[in-house]
Amino acid sequence: MESLLQHFERFSEVLAVSRTTHVRTWDTATVRRALQWARYLRHVHRRFGRHVRIRMALERRLQNQWRLEGGSGSSPVPGLTNFQALERCDLLLSLRLLENRALGDAAYHYLLQELFPGPGVPDADPETLQGSLARLARRRSAVHLLRLSGYGENSVLEEDSVLKTQAELLLARLREVPKAEAEGPSRFLSILWERLPQNNFLRVIAAALLLPPSSPRPQEEELEPGTPKTLADGDQELVRWLLTKSDVMAAFCRNLPAGLLTSVAGRHPELSRVYLGLLADWARHLHYDLQKGIWIGTESQHVPWEELYGKFQSLCQAPPPLKDDVLAALESCKAKDGDFQVRGLSIWTDLLLALGCGS
Amino acid sequence: MAQDSVGFSSDYQFWMQKLSLWDQASTLETQKDTCLHLPRFQEFLRQMYEVLKEMDSNMIIERFPTIGQLLAKTCWNPYILAFDESQKILLWCLCCLINKEPQNSEELKLNSWTRGLLSHVLSAFKFDTKEVGLFIQGLGYAPADYYSGLLKNMVLSLVSELRENHLNGFNTQRRMAPEKIRFLSRVCVPLVTLPDIQPLVEALLTYHGHEPQEVLWPEFFDAVNEAFLLKKISLPTSAVICLWLRHLPSLEKATLHLFEKLISSERNFLRRIECFLKDSLLPEAACYPAIFRIVDEMFRYALLETDGAPEVLAAIQVFTWCFVEALEKQNKQLKFTLKTYFPYASPSLVMVLLQHPKDIPQKLWHQPLKHISEMLREIVEDQTHGSYGGPFECWFLFIHFGGWADIAAEQLVMSEAEPPEALLWLLAFSHSPRDRSQQRAQTMVEVKAVLSHLKKLLRSPTLSARDLQAAAAESQDRDPRPPSCQQLIRHLLLNFLLWAPGGHAIAREVITLMAPTDELSHEIAGFLDQTLYRWDRLCLEAPRSRKLARELLAELHAHIQHRPAAHGAAVHAAGSPRSRDETMRLIRRGTSSEDEP
Repeated sequence: MESLLQHFERFSEVLAVSRTTHVRTWDTATVRRALQWARYLRHVHRRFGRHVRIRMALERRLQNQWRLEGGSGSSPVPGLTNFQALERCDLLLSLRLLENRALGDAAYHYLLQELFPGPGVPDADPETLQGSLARLARRRSAVHLLRLSGYGENSVLEEDSVLKTQAELLLARLREVPKAEAEGPSRFLSILWERLPQNNFLRVIAAALLLPPSSPRPQEEELEPGTPKTLADGDQELVRWLLTKSDVMAAFCRNLPAGLLTSVAGRHPELSRVYLGLLADWARHLHYDLQKGIWIGTESQHVPWEELYGKFQSLCQAPPPLKDDVLAALESCKAKDGDFQVRGLSIWTDLLLALGCGS
Repeated sequence: MAQDSVGFSSDYQFWMQKLSLWDQASTLETQKDTCLHLPRFQEFLRQMYEVLKEMDSNMIIERFPTIGQLLAKTCWNPYILAFDESQKILLWCLCCLINKEPQNSEELKLNSWTRGLLSHVLSAFKFDTKEVGLFIQGLGYAPADYYSGLLKNMVLSLVSELRENHLNGFNTQRRMAPEKIRFLSRVCVPLVTLPDIQPLVEALLTYHGHEPQEVLWPEFFDAVNEAFLLKKISLPTSAVICLWLRHLPSLEKATLHLFEKLISSERNFLRRIECFLKDSLLPEAACYPAIFRIVDEMFRYALLETDGAPEVLAAIQVFTWCFVEALEKQNKQLKFTLKTYFPYASPSLVMVLLQHPKDIPQKLWHQPLKHISEMLREIVEDQTHGSYGGPFECWFLFIHFGGWADIAAEQLVMSEAEPPEALLWLLAFSHSPRDRSQQRAQTMVEVKAVLSHLKKLLRSPTLSARDLQAAAAESQDRDPRPPSCQQLIRHLLLNFLLWAPGGHAIAREVITLMAPTDELSHEIAGFLDQTLYRWDRLCLEAPRSRKLARELLAELHAHIQHRPAAHGAAVHAAGSPRSRDETMRLIRRGTSSEDEP
């Protein structure tokens, strides 16, 4: 058992290295060994698939490999995240090596021979590497062809699919983050926030929050005792994290389109409360310019009237109870501000008037 | 070898030109042309790999200086990469170009360039934005995960758009433009065997737009049909039926494919024919009259061309059984009158023929038989009644339900009473529809004579093969019996052997006397198989007769196996064997789906 675990760790290191320029030093023998290890771990997966205790022991060891401290240069996610990943560890390794330009010619040549033995080689495995790689290439060209098919006209749909896929993968990863400490998922998300392009990340979060609750998992996993994970869990982790990170929340509510935010608020009441709070804060920064007859901010980062109005407008078109909550909030702000009926005195009055809900 | 390499060089030039023409398959014409050539190009890639794998990298460049161009153009053509195994073979070819130990800068450059191509086909996030690539990698996922998920989501969104389209008929804003749907069908041609695409194929097949013309590309139907026939794609029956209803050549190809299977399969196994038929989904599809009529037409043609080959007759009979079964299951949903299936037949005749003997007590079977006989006779002998077709049409309709003729024969042999005219006429007609009334009358007389002999033997305690032979002997003072009459008498004798109490003992001897040639052995085996099959369908008990029939059949099969010359020959009605290929050639000749240009 111990040797198995050591194997694990060694292979995870190999996997990590396979992406770096360190592979320059690898020769054919190294590549062979690495592939053999990968094959061995695949065999382990097949052999111990039903062996709950071994699986759990291995998974516990894997959980230790997450780097959630932050500040370290390496990826927070280990190469192998759970037992299921063992099934494709050779594919993972192969792809990384194939992409790595630092790998020497001789080693690369050997790698190709191993990966693509050609026709007429009896398939010991029903799922050979060769078949998986060919299928990957075929799927990519399928995506390309479908895009060519005039998806461009309706680029919204395509964007949706891309976002949806990223969202599903994000939630799948969140499910795997070690929950030993409750902070695991939050720390993971924070690291992602620091490292990844933020605009895309925000859109993915929105898409994830809007996924239908019965969304199928991107990878097949058997449910084992002690892991009642559903996508809804990942959902909740995201919300929890957003609620603790005011900067992320602010960016979220600022940068995403109004309609999208309304949908998210409709699904997640806790977020809608924060959203409204932020809108209220932003509104308070604006003052009325008598000469121009409009509400403006004093500094460039203040949210302009048009944007505020747009977001409120969208919210007022939402189905109840969100719509009612928003109107109630606006009314209450208006009341607290002095309950003016005339323009130019309270932004709340003006908003309500502009929205056509003023009374 | 020299010959091969010359052929290969010219192929190479041909494909090089084609690839340059296609470029990245961006225009409609190039896409069409590419799709048409995909299978042949894949063959060429295979051949190329066989050539390349024997050579090392330098030799390859020397021998094929433009190979880099060829492979690059292939890599950049998404249709080629999407098709079947082409991407795999392409990868093999690229691997051949990699030099293990590059000696100079040329070789290094080639390696680097090849690696780039390999990367293009396999690894990098070529088609997405940088942010997406960073995101996926940041999560620790591989491109394989991303692309499988993305493809699934794209297909889902396209399918729901197509379905919504269908429901949202008149809401022009939401409708998917017909050009886009056509493009989708074009794009599916190379992808048809990829399982992820199957929901999209299904949605396209069942898509009913509001355009007056067919919006899907015809090559799409061809590709789906081909994949379905070769079992490379699994589609629900409703989608396959949509395919056939919308694209006639596909239906014809499917029927021809079935014929090939039926004719080349082991003869005399009706159970197997039934399996093939059910597998092909044609009986179920035939519940739609349009499909039924076309398949029936092809059966008719096959029958005419092969001059009534027993295989075709058997296939028609089993097909009709399966079709009626499917029709009964469908009864709630599809309501077509019988006339739509059999427009040239008398509706009352069809109704009687469709009756299931199982629903009638055995004692009363002579009633529908008489009825059928009378109705057929009326149509056949009445010269003025042109509306129900001539004798051939009648006969063709009748043999769909050929079980009735066999039942008539059984009844005649088993009963003690005087054989009714009607049944005699029916038997004579079914074995020889082209006879004129005089010939038929003659046949009926002969049969009656044989039957009366047999009845005497039925109760005889000491039955011998010689007795039976005598009973069936032709009388010297009349013309020799025509072959169809001989066959009819043989069947009566066989029935006798199966049912008469003394028949079992002499069965083998009689058969040896009756079947000196292979054709006759085949005929008798066919008769036994058909009888057993019919008894199963009718849930007829009769354990002794069954046992005998099964034993005889097994013995005949063993005997036939030992004579390989006769194995696999389709028997001409007159008795001379014809090869399978010839049979298929005859059938193909008239149907519209000849080989592609």
